[in-house]
Formats: sequence, C-alpha cells, structure tokens
Amino acid sequence: MDEFLAGIEQLAFVRGLKASFVAYPIVNALHIMSIGALLTSVWLMDLRVLGAFRSLPQAAFVALLRRTALSAFAGALVTGTLLFSVRASEYAAMPVFLTKMTLILLAGANFLVFLRRVKGGDEPAGGTVTTLAVLSLVLWTSVLFAGRFIGFLN
Amino acid sequence: MQSPFNGLRNVALAAAVILAAATAAYAHHGWSWTEDGFFELRGKITAIYIGNPHATLDVDAEGEVWRVEMAPPSRTIAAGFTEEVAKVGDEVTAIGNRSLDENEKRMKAVRVIVGGKTYDVYPDRVPPA
Repeated sequence: MDEFLAGIEQLAFVRGLKASFVAYPIVNALHIMSIGALLTSVWLMDLRVLGAFRSLPQAAFVALLRRTALSAFAGALVTGTLLFSVRASEYAAMPVFLTKMTLILLAGANFLVFLRRVKGGDEPAGGTVTTLAVLSLVLWTSVLFAGRFIGFLN
Repeated sequence: MQSPFNGLRNVALAAAVILAAATAAYAHHGWSWTEDGFFELRGKITAIYIGNPHATLDVDAEGEVWRVEMAPPSRTIAAGFTEEVAKVGDEVTAIGNRSLDENEKRMKAVRVIVGGKTYDVYPDRVPPA
C-alpha cells in the first residue's frame, strides 16, 4: 500500500501538478465548484423529498437534480483524486481524510437504498424515505466539513 | 402523514453541532495558530516536500520529529529553497513561529538555514537583523 501511494506521487503528471503555480489552484477551484453543485443538488433534492417546494413536480425536479448531482460527483471525484495524488501517502494516513472517505461510502450506500425505496412519481414522503433523505443531508454535509478540515489538519 | 419538518429540525441541529466543532479547531493556514515570538529549531532533515498546497520539512530535533511548514511552493522556490539545495540528513535551522499548542511539534518557518545558506521564505516576516 505504501509503495502504491508513493508510486502515485511519482507519476509524471502528478509531479507536474505538485510543482505547478497554475494547474493546482485551477484543479482546486474545480473541486470547489463540483462540491458546491453537488451539495446544492443534494439539499434541494432532499428538501423536495421532505415536502418543501410542493408546487414543483417531484419526479421531474428530482430527476434533474439527480443528473446534476451525479455529474458534480464525477467532477469532484476526478479533481479530488488529483488533489490527493500530490501527497497521497500523507493524506492516506490522516484520520480526517479516512473519515471523509467513509462518509462518502455511507452517503453512496444511502443513495442506493433510497433508489430501491423510491420508484419515482409524486407519492408523498413516507417514514423510511424521510429518514433516508435526512440521512443524505447529514452525510453529504458532513463530507463537506470533513473535506474542509483536511486542509487545516495536515 | 407525519410532518417532514421534524426531520429538518434534526438536520439543523446536526449542522449546528458540526459548526460548533469547526469553530473550536484552529487553522494551519495563516498565522493565527502560531505564537507571536520567534522560535528557533535545529535538527536533521528527515523529509522534504516542495509542492502544493504548501512546502514542508520534517526535522528531527533531539529525537523529536517536528513538522516545519514553509510558504506555498511558488513562494518557497522564489526564496531559492528547492529540492536541490537540501537533502535528507542535512543539518537545518528553522526560524519562525511555533504552534500555540505546546504539545504540538509544529512550526511555521519564515527563515530556513541549511548548508550555510539562508533562505527567507517569508521575507516580510523575518526577525530584524
């Protein structure tokens, strides 16, 4: 594992990113943009499921935001991997980084459970669906906070 | 149907708790986490990192490994401190400000001296000559 992480740090484009005055801040900015879009979509989607903005049709609203959230997550994943790569072994040893990764896995699992429970349509939010939506809000918001702490604890 | 806004209250509560925890911790960005007076650390370099998001040295001083933070790479390299001027095992003197937390072996350097050469990574903050 240590060798694998050290190997990532030695990749040519990673070494370039590590020393770059321009590329790294750009990747950093794109990561912020992605997580901003992701958190916004998640909040609006979950609030709609919880009964807010009832004038908007749930199926279409949720479908749009889910597409946005998935694209934003893909962007965050790519840019996040790049930010990780410049000091892979250092980040991998940080409890707050591992906490963030665990929270993402939990949020992902929560999303999959939610997909199985909700088959679309404008059905009112039931007990389980409400719990899953609240869990989604708490988990994704915690991912954001854990992520921000990485920059202040390393 | 139960009110979904019971759930929202729980979310607001969770957010408030996380926010409180966030403000309790201090940042390693900037200088707010360091002491005002200058601090000098002497030891052997055990690791060098010149890169984003900021450059660091690990320094073994009397058996204790310290993390010495420097400027972002552009600024550190502009000060002349690159991966070529120092290597693991070199004697180093770091002058700067140490963490307010006495148990934390961490400082932010404004000046690094290695191989008889002085590198001012934060020239506007170095101690008066």
